[in-house]
Amino acid sequence: MRARSLFLLVVALGLTATLAACGGSSKSGSKTTTSNSTSAGAAGGTFLAVAKAAPSGSPDPQIDYTLQEWQLLIFTHDGLVAFKRVGGTEGTKIVPDLVTSIPNPTDGGKTYTFTIRKGIKFSNGKELKPSDVKYTFLRLFKIGQSPNAGSWYNVIVGGDACVKTPKTCNLDQGVIADDAKSTVTFHLTRGDPEFLDKLAVPFAFILPTGTPNKEAQIPPPGTGPYKWAQYNTNKQIKLVRNPFFKLWSTDAQPAGNPDVIVEKFGLSDEAQVTEVENGQADWMFDTPPADRLNEMSTKYPSQVFINPLTAVYYFAFNVRVPPFNNLKARQGVNYATDRNALVKIYGGPKLATPTCQILPPGFPGYKAYCPYTKNPGSGKWTAPDLAKARQLIAASGTKGATVKVNTDTTDVNKAFGEYFVSLLNKLGYKAQLQALSADIQYPYCQNSKNKVQFCYSSWYQDYPAASDFLNVLLGCSDFVPNSSASPNISEFCVKPIQAQMNAALKTGILNPTAANTQWAAVDKAVTDQAPWVSMLNPKYLNFVSKRVKGFQFSPQWYFLIDQASVK
Amino acid sequence: MATFIVRRVLWLIVVLFAISVLVFLIFFAIPGVDPARQMAGRNPTAETIRNIKHEFGLDRPLPVRYGLMMKHIFISRDLISYGSHTKVIPEILSAAPVTLSLVFGAAVIWIVFSILTGLAAAVFRGTIIDPLLMILALIGISIPVFWLGEVVNLITQSRLHHFFLFSWVPPLGYTPLTQDPVMWFEQLLLPWLTLSVLYIGFYARVLRANLIETESEDYVRTARAKGLSERRVLLRHTLRTSLITFVSLFGLDFGVLVGGGALLTEVVFGLPGVGLLTYNSLTSLDLPVIMTTVIYGAFFITLASALVDLVYAWLDPRVRPA
Amino acid sequence: MAVFEPEAELATLDIEELGGEVAGRSPWALAGRRLLHNKLAIAAAVVFVLIVAVSFAAPLYARHIAHTDAFTSNLSGTFRLHGKTIQVIQQGTGKLGLGETPVAPTWHAKYFLGADSQGRDVATRVLYGGRASLEIGIGSAVLASVLAVVFGLIAGFFGGWTDALLSRLMDLIWAFPVYLLAISLATVLLTAPNGLRIGFVHLNASSLWIPLGIIGVIYVPYVFRPIRGQVLSLREREFVEAAIAQGASNLRLIFSEVLPNVASTVIVLLPLMIATTILTESALSYLSIGVQPPKASWGTIIEDGQGLLYTRPWVAIAPGIMIVLTVLALNVLGDGLRDALDPRSKLRMKG
Repeated sequence: MRARSLFLLVVALGLTATLAACGGSSKSGSKTTTSNSTSAGAAGGTFLAVAKAAPSGSPDPQIDYTLQEWQLLIFTHDGLVAFKRVGGTEGTKIVPDLVTSIPNPTDGGKTYTFTIRKGIKFSNGKELKPSDVKYTFLRLFKIGQSPNAGSWYNVIVGGDACVKTPKTCNLDQGVIADDAKSTVTFHLTRGDPEFLDKLAVPFAFILPTGTPNKEAQIPPPGTGPYKWAQYNTNKQIKLVRNPFFKLWSTDAQPAGNPDVIVEKFGLSDEAQVTEVENGQADWMFDTPPADRLNEMSTKYPSQVFINPLTAVYYFAFNVRVPPFNNLKARQGVNYATDRNALVKIYGGPKLATPTCQILPPGFPGYKAYCPYTKNPGSGKWTAPDLAKARQLIAASGTKGATVKVNTDTTDVNKAFGEYFVSLLNKLGYKAQLQALSADIQYPYCQNSKNKVQFCYSSWYQDYPAASDFLNVLLGCSDFVPNSSASPNISEFCVKPIQAQMNAALKTGILNPTAANTQWAAVDKAVTDQAPWVSMLNPKYLNFVSKRVKGFQFSPQWYFLIDQASVK
Repeated sequence: MATFIVRRVLWLIVVLFAISVLVFLIFFAIPGVDPARQMAGRNPTAETIRNIKHEFGLDRPLPVRYGLMMKHIFISRDLISYGSHTKVIPEILSAAPVTLSLVFGAAVIWIVFSILTGLAAAVFRGTIIDPLLMILALIGISIPVFWLGEVVNLITQSRLHHFFLFSWVPPLGYTPLTQDPVMWFEQLLLPWLTLSVLYIGFYARVLRANLIETESEDYVRTARAKGLSERRVLLRHTLRTSLITFVSLFGLDFGVLVGGGALLTEVVFGLPGVGLLTYNSLTSLDLPVIMTTVIYGAFFITLASALVDLVYAWLDPRVRPA
Repeated sequence: MAVFEPEAELATLDIEELGGEVAGRSPWALAGRRLLHNKLAIAAAVVFVLIVAVSFAAPLYARHIAHTDAFTSNLSGTFRLHGKTIQVIQQGTGKLGLGETPVAPTWHAKYFLGADSQGRDVATRVLYGGRASLEIGIGSAVLASVLAVVFGLIAGFFGGWTDALLSRLMDLIWAFPVYLLAISLATVLLTAPNGLRIGFVHLNASSLWIPLGIIGVIYVPYVFRPIRGQVLSLREREFVEAAIAQGASNLRLIFSEVLPNVASTVIVLLPLMIATTILTESALSYLSIGVQPPKASWGTIIEDGQGLLYTRPWVAIAPGIMIVLTVLALNVLGDGLRDALDPRSKLRMKG
């Protein structure tokens, strides 16, 4: 149902503006007795997951950016702090992990002094020391390929210089490790309300000193309850218990239930569903194909879990290239789009809801708004308005133009593309389908050199702040011409709207609630300009085998595999 | 004989060179492809892309990059995939036994059955058996292998899995022979049968057609006139000549399959072989893996072609290589 | 079982069949007569012609019988059957209401075989698909055969360096992985902003000439080898030596002695080739690198059907059956042609 590449986004960040504003207060101190301890079911057994392919990208935890691997790295490694390992909204809270407690930053928010817990061992038997923390952050820069070294971790003093010349990276000013006192002190270049969240993701998971400063072929030893035994991209991944692990915090790093976790590759999504149904596998990573959904919901409803997500699926117009540099044409296509059909392609109304706007429901700053429907005004989409669409397109004078509809080759996204080809042809354009492999489609669309006219994409939250959708995807500075790293695919840049965005950003630093009203206005203004055809807001579906007990869904890590049990 | 081998080895090198250069050029002719950007993942910074470019030598001129890649494949053997960032050669070496298991098993089945079928059809010409066998063979040829595989899976894994005939069918995948021979066999049985259906049909017909054609040759008439038994005529004279086309076609097909041509079967049955590896690398435009699998495949195809010429010459003395 | 008494029987047959007149008839005319008496081959030819006719009549079926469109998505549509209004794509009925399933075969004019996941009429698409598959299958087989004959004749006849060069070239093409060439070409064409331009030839990504050309070229070596082998052996045969002794030129030798013998091989191989090319086209379309949507070929419909195999298997089964029928018909026809063209082969029918 959705391209794997979507998982590359930092879903696990879950940075919250509100948490940031509150500083350290909601980040609880070390609590080892909580009610979120491992759920029903006994420990032991092998948890067998199946997937189509290995995580794309590197096995190295400091380079990898896929949900598929992140879901497993949290069991084998630890950061200084962690997202609470439970399902539900509690799972967005930050709790101490390798540190004893979460300090308040001093020096205007620029200095954090952590005390490292004693007695924690890596899976190679070595004891965790503060110098390992320093080594980890040095390596983050030295390997030169960490995607966010230069955008997140350069907030550490010395980080920018390290990005420029990785080989001679020196963080002596930024990270001060004192093995004798068991402390690590971070000096930042500025106050950063998102710093703790950056410490809670796999890029910053602590590795032992001596880990080679080049890309690893299998994740190095970690401090979690499991360790990596095998990473064969053609066959499988295998995690076994870390014999040196001793529980120190059920909130941050609970003991896992299964003895072994295996993720086998090479199975098509149809085969995966069959295996889970037959009990030959416990869980499938990939989304079940559309034609099995009915069967699953009829025969195995108790094994299906549906959870809401804050995400939006859309097709972006290129507003600088004909025919969609014409506002009437864009609005016309929006009126003509049958979002019900798109929901059907995704799997039906239980799995997705139609949308006309940018922000997803339940998001700060969201106010239901949909002008592109029959009888607008309720904020909900009801039906396409073909008459109005034809009127607008006729007025635009763009009829007969050739349009390439660009999407990727996964079933659902390709089906979206076919629908739009058919629709555009019906409206009088000459449409063709251009379906590229998912690995190359997203960068291809981003690069203005390729002059893509109409392109599929999706966006999942990095953190619950409206700026993450509106500014990142439609802000002027996020359009970088002739670059494959330009998230503003629409090349949208309207000065008055940008000014509104900047004002809202500014308000948001001190007064998030007031900013939300401003963001709602921005959402409305942008939607009226129709840089996209917003399609739907999806839900996430997990399918597990009969013997799996204790399913939990965390908004950060999704299915918490090691908290489930197979015995 | 020695000159034959030397010539063929030289030819092999030429083929590998030509194909690798062609692959390299095609790949870099594809617009919109930026390997460094691809490897950098989602929303990287410009520095990350620059570092990757340098690390993988992507900022050097084309001939240098080609040379580097060949060095990594043949000399240092540490070529890294753009997609998974792991070494390519171990990936291929672990995928090869899967493909070899699939192809050898299928080949044994299809050789045996196609020869039996073709012989039977030619011998029993004029009775109902001949057209019946040929219709079956035709149906075999006419079924797309990927479709047949899907239907087989549908029946054995889903619809009739509880039926005693199919309850032994294990989950899709591959288990090495050394690890669990029974499972190895059970997992490969249906893929073998599926893959060989097409070839049994084709080769049975080819053999039958050649047998019939040869039967009417003058020298066969002479052999019969001499009083040789039917069986001797068949096996010594007719079959041997008829096998010429059979062998040359078989050699080509087998070479292609070993080199990764059974990818559709591998895709449908979830067998992590060279074919699946090739397919995945092609769709994600992962040049190092593409290059290595192409070279691997070309090697086997050329080898097979040389062996076929050898056998051809042995079978038909008129066509000995000069 | 004794089945060999070719000459006497055949001679009798011929004379009887032709009313006692053998003199003055060319081998081709004789072949034609023999073919006409092969009932099975004629039946197969009829079936094949029917399939072609029906496929090319697809627009008529769409407009007058089914009243559906094969290429426009119709996800939210409804239609009437037996007085009831039916949704083309229906929501799942399970406890969780997940999934959307296209309508099952109605076995009536509208949506005879049901709908696919875009809500399109499968029966109509199968007919249109036949057109594309047949065009590509036949076109590429002919292309491959023509090229293989030309190269095979030259290589087998002239031998020496020419032979070595051509054989090696064919080996090179054969060693080149089919799918790599096809996928690379397809991706280049897909990503290039304005399609492929070679000189004055302009092809856009959805042109049928592209899969036709690719498949035609890759199968040349397959036909080339047997042809070359045959030409090589023919060259040493007595009648060629006789012709040379008579002072015939190379060209004449090729056209009057070698080519007719080679031609019958090609004619017999041709139906097999078409069978192979139709199957290859379906494989490439299945991998999404052949015919591009929304255009249909039997292969693309099987790919559509793959995603519906568990709920609506007819979407995948119907084009598969069409392929089997077409290929079967072609091969029976090919058998008949071979029997007719080989003057010393026994007629299968009489036995």
